[in-house]
Formats: sequence, structure tokens, C-alpha cells
Amino acid sequence: MNAILHAQQLTKHYPGSIALDHVDFTANAGESIAIIGPSGSGKTTLLHCLAGILRPDAGSITLSTQSAPLRLDTLGDAALSRLRREEFGFVFQQGMLLPELTAVENVALALMLNGTDRATSESRAAEWLGALGLAGMEQRRLGELSGGQVQRVAIARAQVTGARVVFADEPTGALDSATSTEVLDVLLRSVAANGRTLLVVTHDPNVAARCQRVVELRDGRIVADSAGPVSPAVPGTPATSFKGAFNV
Amino acid sequence: MSSLAMALRLTPYLARSNDSSLRETGLRDAGLPVLAFGTVTALLLTVAGGSQVFWSWSDDIAGTYQALAVVAMVLLIIPLLTLGASAARLAARRRDDRLASLRLLGADSATVVWMTVIESTVLAAVGALAGAGLYACAAPFLGLIQFRGQAIAGHAWLSVPSILGCILAVCVLAAASAALGLRKVVVTPLGVRTRQTADGVHWVRGLIAALVVVVGVVTMGMLSSFGAFVVIVAVMGGCFGLALLALNLMGPWILRLRASSQLKRAKRPEQLLAARTVLESPKESWRQVGGVAMTSFVGVFVGVGMAVADTMGGSAGDETALLVRDINTGVMITLLGSFLMVACSAGVNQAAAVLDRASMLVALDRVGMPRKLMVASRVKAVMSPLFLVAGISAAAASALVLPLTGMVLLTRPVVFLTIGGVFAAGFLLVRLAVAAGTAQIGQVLARPERYASMDS
Repeated sequence: MNAILHAQQLTKHYPGSIALDHVDFTANAGESIAIIGPSGSGKTTLLHCLAGILRPDAGSITLSTQSAPLRLDTLGDAALSRLRREEFGFVFQQGMLLPELTAVENVALALMLNGTDRATSESRAAEWLGALGLAGMEQRRLGELSGGQVQRVAIARAQVTGARVVFADEPTGALDSATSTEVLDVLLRSVAANGRTLLVVTHDPNVAARCQRVVELRDGRIVADSAGPVSPAVPGTPATSFKGAFNV
Repeated sequence: MSSLAMALRLTPYLARSNDSSLRETGLRDAGLPVLAFGTVTALLLTVAGGSQVFWSWSDDIAGTYQALAVVAMVLLIIPLLTLGASAARLAARRRDDRLASLRLLGADSATVVWMTVIESTVLAAVGALAGAGLYACAAPFLGLIQFRGQAIAGHAWLSVPSILGCILAVCVLAAASAALGLRKVVVTPLGVRTRQTADGVHWVRGLIAALVVVVGVVTMGMLSSFGAFVVIVAVMGGCFGLALLALNLMGPWILRLRASSQLKRAKRPEQLLAARTVLESPKESWRQVGGVAMTSFVGVFVGVGMAVADTMGGSAGDETALLVRDINTGVMITLLGSFLMVACSAGVNQAAAVLDRASMLVALDRVGMPRKLMVASRVKAVMSPLFLVAGISAAAASALVLPLTGMVLLTRPVVFLTIGGVFAAGFLLVRLAVAAGTAQIGQVLARPERYASMDS
């Protein structure tokens, strides 16, 4: 498999504690990886370092690109910001979308930030929302959507730009179990259909069970890295139906 | 247990439980409302202190000064009340989430209202006391201002009962505004969190405001028929007050119309965000720029007033020359107070808005939104409505004074220079205040762990 994101000897300290202790980690293109572990184990810190949100105290992070490999740990703030905008997508626990914008505007904004004109951005955003089961809800404000629907909007925002790696931090943490299953299904299928890499931090064993790989952290170290017991496909929209609608 | 008794028990408990965050983020939790209430009180006391000298005179010309003082007070009091209400809403808003949670836990609406009123009133009292202290520091300098050729000196000092009365008034204003500002939470506990609908602003506001302006214009056109000078000045004061009220009614409605139009035409992200920010709450946007609308309104009167004063001074005796000079002094004090209120209002509102949305800003930073774009959208969300309302209020003021001083306006270039200077200074001051407020974005993003809700 092709490594898309590679970290070596990542170390990160917080006052009085070590969050990452010489961690080596590789994510391959198209993989879905669950990062699990107890609270304080360093899983979110690892996610943030890999995503260029946090700078490690030591170690390197390399992103494979079509040209030369890119060292994230050497980039400045502006370059990292641009990288997150263009190469990465994010799904947070609470969605973290702009409440004053409509659903389609929230998704389109990610494209507009990259310089795409508004009409094209909104058109592509609407396609994504439709493919994720939100057809007819494009003009709704977030307050008019359910928690699961808001997370679908967030999933669309994370991928509409063509991000190669999607980072998700407890994406179903604020949802009930039924909605959680639906949202996770949408996330996994859309990511897989588009060949994206997914890194998801979770406490939920059901989420981990749906990923191809499970990485377990404890006290800032990776203590297990194994193929996940990926569940059989959940009845519903086949993964291939996500593809084709998203020519990004 | 009654709702009030429950509120009295819960309020100190919640305040105590928040002590650590108060220490950590003092500006966010209590500093801003206290600062705003303090500013309101200091300005209120300064205005009252500065003008009380006029009421100590009893000679023939005293009536003229008193009438002009009424006009100045009318011009300043309404923006002052607006700033006071903004400060009160800010105090209530910082507790919105907590109060909504209490409602979800079963606290009745009366308990929540009482808690808000108590908290806001306590913050207002602290701010008002600080404002009184500021006034005490400023009063000696205020005493150096000259009217009728003499420094007002000890007249700048208000009596203790007057100061206490002002403090009480600020507290009452805070209590009333807090109770009104929390209506949404009381009605729908989840409404504050989910913000399901944008603020509605009815077109009837525009209609009423237009009617008020028409009444004002007609009344001003009939000024000469009112006879006595004092009556004329009093009618002018009333018309000014009406016009300011009309601006307050019309402002949010006009901002919504303009933002809707800008939303359709928005091409860049900051344009989209700015238009949506205004549409989210036109009333909130108006509260941020309304003060400058008032200042612009005053500015037009300043220009015309100076032109009138200049004309009178050219052919009159010593007493009239003094009056002319004093009018200029009064106008400058009025403008200074107005600008200060505008700057306070804009700065406080922006800083509060940034802090209110800190976790969202952190999330946007993480998804790669450039910081300069966050700032640009906030600046545009303030400055665009500002330019609009300043233009409209200046036009409204012109409509009122044109029948009276049209000729002077045309023959005195200084009028236009003064108005231009007033507007430029106002815009610059607000821009600086917005910059100070949006500087909070940098502070928020510098310590994202404090505000992020996604860390685990």
C-alpha cells in the first residue's frame, strides 16, 4: 500500500505530562484507521499533530504529494493553514459549522476558501449534500437540522474540496446509537468510495469495529496496531453510489 | 420556594462555581459587562455634571443655555441608553447557555429571569461604582471647561445623591434590559443553543420611522410660528429626539434589506460571512453601529450649528460672541461624548462576539480558514452597515435642518469640512475599536485549548 502520511518518533509534551512518546505511525492511502485509547492517552494529540494543528516537540511528519514529500513539521503557520484547507478534511464532534450559514453555504465555504467561485462551490456542495441524503435541505440553517443531519453536512464539508485525508474526532460522540450508526455509515462509505484516507479518534468500540485498522494508544505510546474487525456492510446505499457524484 | 428565593440561592452558587474560570478569563466572564457599565456611568455622570452649571444661572440668557443643554442631553442620552442596553444584554448573553441548561433541568422561567436580572444588576452595580470613580478622576479636568468666560470648576461635581441616583438608574436599566434580552431563553430553552430562526425585522419599523421623520420635518418647517426662542429650541430638541428614535426603529430593517442584497451578490467568503452575520441578527448589528448613526446625525447638526454660530458672532456684541463660543464648546463636548460611546459600544460588542464564538473560531482555524479572513469578515460586518447608517442618518439630519439653515449650509464651506471631519473621525474611531475587539481572535487562537470543545 502507498503511505500517504508518515510520522517518525513523534514526541509532544504538555506541562507535567507527555502526550506522545516517540510515536511511529503510517497511514496508507484509502485506509480507514481508528485511533482508540483511554482519556489522556494522546490520541487527539496524535490526530492534531498529523493534521498540522499541533507542532510536535520532536519527530517528523511527512505527507506524500504528487511532487516531493512534504514535511509538515517544518512548515510555517500560513502553509499549514493552506495545507489543512486543501489536503485535509475535518469532522468534529459537534460539527463546528457556522450557524448563520445554510447547509449548502457551509459546505460551499470550504471550496470558496480555496478560490472556487460561489456558483460552482454551491453547485458542488449541493451534489454532496444530495448524495449524503440531505437533498431538499440545502437552504436550511443548521438550527433546523437534526444532530445527525448536521454531521452529514460536516462530512460533506470535509470532503467537498477533494481532501486526501479526512480527520474525524469523535464524529458520533454527540449522537444517539441509531443516528451514530447512520452517520458512521455515511462517513465510511463516502470516504471509501472516493479513495480517501480516514483517521478517526473514538471511544466507541462500534466505530473502531467498522474501520480497517485500529491503533491503540496508552500513555502516549502505540500499544497495538492491528487490522480491525471490519463489520459486514450495513444495508443501505452501496458505497459505489457515492462515487461519481463527487468529481472533485 | 418562590422563584425569587430560588434565584437568590442559585445565583451566588453558580457565580462561586465559576470562580476559577473568572480568574482565568476575567475579561470574558465579567470584565466586559463591567467595563461597559462603567463607561456608561462615567459618561452619564460627566454629561450631567457638565451641564448642571447651566441650571445654576438665573439671568436673561440662562434660558438659552438651558435649552441648548436640553438639546445636548437629548442627543447624548439616547445613545447612552443604547450603550447601556448593549452592556446589559452582554451581561445576560454570557450566561445564555448556562441559563438554558437550567431551564432544561427544570428551573422555571421566572427563576431564570430573576437569576439573569440579579447577575446583570450586580455587574452593573460594580461597573457603575467603577464608573463613578472614573468620573471623580475626570471631574477636576471637566471643571477646567469654560462657559461664559469662566471655568465651571466646582459645578462639574454632582452631589452625592445625584451620583447615587445615576448609579441606581444604570442598575435599573441593566435589570430591565436583562429581563427583556432573555425572553428567548424563557420561552424556548433550546432556542438559544440552536438559534433556529434568524431575527425577524418587520417592515412596519420602516414605515413608523418614515412617519416620525415626516412629522419632524413638518414641525421644523413651522418653527418660526412657535414664537418664543426657548419654545423653538425645546421643539428642536423634541424633533431631534424623535429623529433619533426613528433611526433606532428604522436601522435594523434597513440593515436587513442591505445585507440581503449583499448576500445575493457575495462572491468571496468574507462577503458571504459578513452578509450572513448581519442577517443573523440585524438588531445586533444595529446595536454595534447605531451609536455612529447617532454621531453622524449629531455631526450634521454640528456643522450647521457652527455655521449659524459663525453668522451670529460676526455682528453681535460680547454676550452673543460668548454664546457662540460656548455653543462651539458644547458641540465639541457632545461630539466627544458621542464618539466615546460609539467606540465603547463597537469595541465591547466585537470583543464579546469573538469570545462568544471562540470555540467556533478555533474550529475554523483548524479547518484552514485564514485568520485574516476571520478578521476581514468581522470588520466588513461592522463597517458596511456603518457606512450605510451613517449616510442615512446624515441625510435624515439634513432633511430636518435644511429648511432652517439651507442658505448657511451653501455659503459656509467650513460646514462641509466639519461634517467630513466628524464622519472621518467617527469611522476611524470605530475601525480602531473593531480592530481592538477583533484582536481577541489572535488571543483565542493563540490558546485554542482553552476554547476548543473537541479535545479529548
